[in-house]
Amino acid sequence: MTAQTPILPVQAILRRLARHGRSLVIAVPLWWLIVFFLIPFAVVAKISFAEAIIARPPYSSLVDWTSEGVLLLKLHLSNYGYLLEDSLYVLAYWSSIQMAFFSTLIALVVAYPMAYYIARTSERRRNVLLMLIILPFWTSFLLRVYAWIGILKTNGIINNALMSLGLTSEPFIMLQTNFAVYVGIVYTYLPFMVLPLFTNLVKLDNSLLEASADLGASPITTFFKVTLPLSVPGIIAGSMLVFIPVVGEFVIPALLGGPDTLMIGKVLWGEFFNNRDWPVASAVAIVMLVLLIIPIMLLRNAQEASAEAAR
Amino acid sequence: MDNPQRISDGAKPWVEQTETPFIRISNLTKKFGEFTAVDNISLDIYREELFCLLGGSGCGKSTLLRMLAGFETPSDGRIEIDGQDMVDVAAYNRPTNMMFQSYALFPHMSVEKNVAYGLLRDGVAKSEVSDRVAEMLKLVQLDGFATRKPDQLSGGQRQRVALARSLIKRPKLLLLDEPLGALDKKLREETQFELINIQETLGVTFIVVTHDQEEAMTLSTRIGVMDQGEIVQVGEPHEIYEFPHSRFVADFIGSVNIFEGRVTDDAENYVRIHSRQGDCDIHVSHGVSCTQNQKLWLAVRPEKMLISRHKPKGKYNIVKGIVDEIAYLGNLSVYRVKLASGKTIRVTKSNRDRRDEDSIGWDETVYLSWDNTAGVVLTQ
Repeated sequence: MTAQTPILPVQAILRRLARHGRSLVIAVPLWWLIVFFLIPFAVVAKISFAEAIIARPPYSSLVDWTSEGVLLLKLHLSNYGYLLEDSLYVLAYWSSIQMAFFSTLIALVVAYPMAYYIARTSERRRNVLLMLIILPFWTSFLLRVYAWIGILKTNGIINNALMSLGLTSEPFIMLQTNFAVYVGIVYTYLPFMVLPLFTNLVKLDNSLLEASADLGASPITTFFKVTLPLSVPGIIAGSMLVFIPVVGEFVIPALLGGPDTLMIGKVLWGEFFNNRDWPVASAVAIVMLVLLIIPIMLLRNAQEASAEAAR
Repeated sequence: MDNPQRISDGAKPWVEQTETPFIRISNLTKKFGEFTAVDNISLDIYREELFCLLGGSGCGKSTLLRMLAGFETPSDGRIEIDGQDMVDVAAYNRPTNMMFQSYALFPHMSVEKNVAYGLLRDGVAKSEVSDRVAEMLKLVQLDGFATRKPDQLSGGQRQRVALARSLIKRPKLLLLDEPLGALDKKLREETQFELINIQETLGVTFIVVTHDQEEAMTLSTRIGVMDQGEIVQVGEPHEIYEFPHSRFVADFIGSVNIFEGRVTDDAENYVRIHSRQGDCDIHVSHGVSCTQNQKLWLAVRPEKMLISRHKPKGKYNIVKGIVDEIAYLGNLSVYRVKLASGKTIRVTKSNRDRRDEDSIGWDETVYLSWDNTAGVVLTQ
């Protein structure tokens, strides 16, 4: 065959459409991100460089025409400086990251056995258990957090049970402590840890575990040498899904935490609604974003590098 | 040593019966719910044997292998390896190693680490580990690939890593589950001989599970043919091929023509059979324990039949038919001849001449004949 088969016009049209179709598919999420993420982000970034004034809206505009016809661009960096001046903000960032770190760790330790069991059990039981993991999403998040107030408060379910059993004479004070915040966070975010771990562990080839046993590894050694290293992508995915939203969490510390629960979400809320200092609040939000994005990017680069090295 | 001769030198302990078997499987049964995967198997395997378990899919051969490795618990029966009862020994404490069908290489470890895994679990000193790993990689011709990851290797290389990993602990018994299944034909043939060489060098006992009868014939000292959870025949490759015990074995190993017939004359040193299927009388030149008019079968291999245009002399072992199809395979031609009864017979003829002007063609009437020693009389 020397002559090439001629391409029919219909085929050519279809091909061109297919090429456009591809960019169309990408365009939808791209525009979504631009409209609902990038533009609001730009607005917040703009406000963070403004000055707080008593007006509506409560901040100055960045661009001004002077009477001499000069276009003035005034960037107030003081909002960012203020964040460093008052130790409250640094402490709030630090304690948010700390809380997020430990709740991620606790969630991981709790979720791993759950995910492992679900992945290894029979298919019928697996579907039931997955349903149970997802089931809490069918009730409002707020209601579920309020329910924890009922459980943890001084004359709540736990304390009443302990006292009626005579295990303690004084009720434990759990509500409005960091303990309650941890309980609330781990409870709320557990599915986000279980599901990525499950999707990873369910793919684990059973013959690898058998091979490990065959070569003389006890079940515990097999777990640490084979199962755990192979589930690292699931651990990373789950940890990101928990860590990132927990850093900025507001509702749980506000409802379950006490006056000494310091989290950046609460500070941000106070800045916006109590102080009505929108520029400082915006600066708080921008710094939080930057603080979160940098480690994520580093992690991603490291992952890509290791994937590259494996190839 | 009572018997200094090794199997690789031609010793046959299963015939001589002087040695105690290395592996004794007795009345082994495995049930999965209602389904019986392995049904009351008893089998002795000797040291340094290369024993093949051969059977179709679902015949229980892999389940038997997995019970030897310790991945399945028998429902009933005993497994003894080197005089030690194995049933209650966990997989990670058994003196066996397994080469998996999927190879099961650890994807997050380099070739070197994969091979070293077994030694490190036994607490062997680091320096000895690296020496032995290097030596083993050399044996399987993979020196220079030590730092690669499994996904950077070809199928054949992966297969050799799996072999090296399963041999590094110098197991008493190596279990191989379809070891060459994933390789292409040419590579498979080369690897078969490599496998035999390695087995003879190291003196390990091999049990190989395969569905490929050619592979079983090439590799093994003995073959155990399995069907529906039972071992239907155990024997050396030529025994299995030339003296099958049943129609199943005859049909499973190679191709065969089976004539159904009834005994017409049962003498001490010969039998006559009339086959309505073949429209012929069959003469077998040895005695068969059967009764007059009993139904039985004669199995004749295609290469043991002669095809000719003219009716050969004699009364027996001749059938007449029409050539239905011819397949030219290079070294030989396969003729499919249709008999009057509708039965199709397969005959092979080796192509000795490069050019055969007078070869038998399609739709010719031909006679097929065979010696009175060529067939095997089967009663089941």
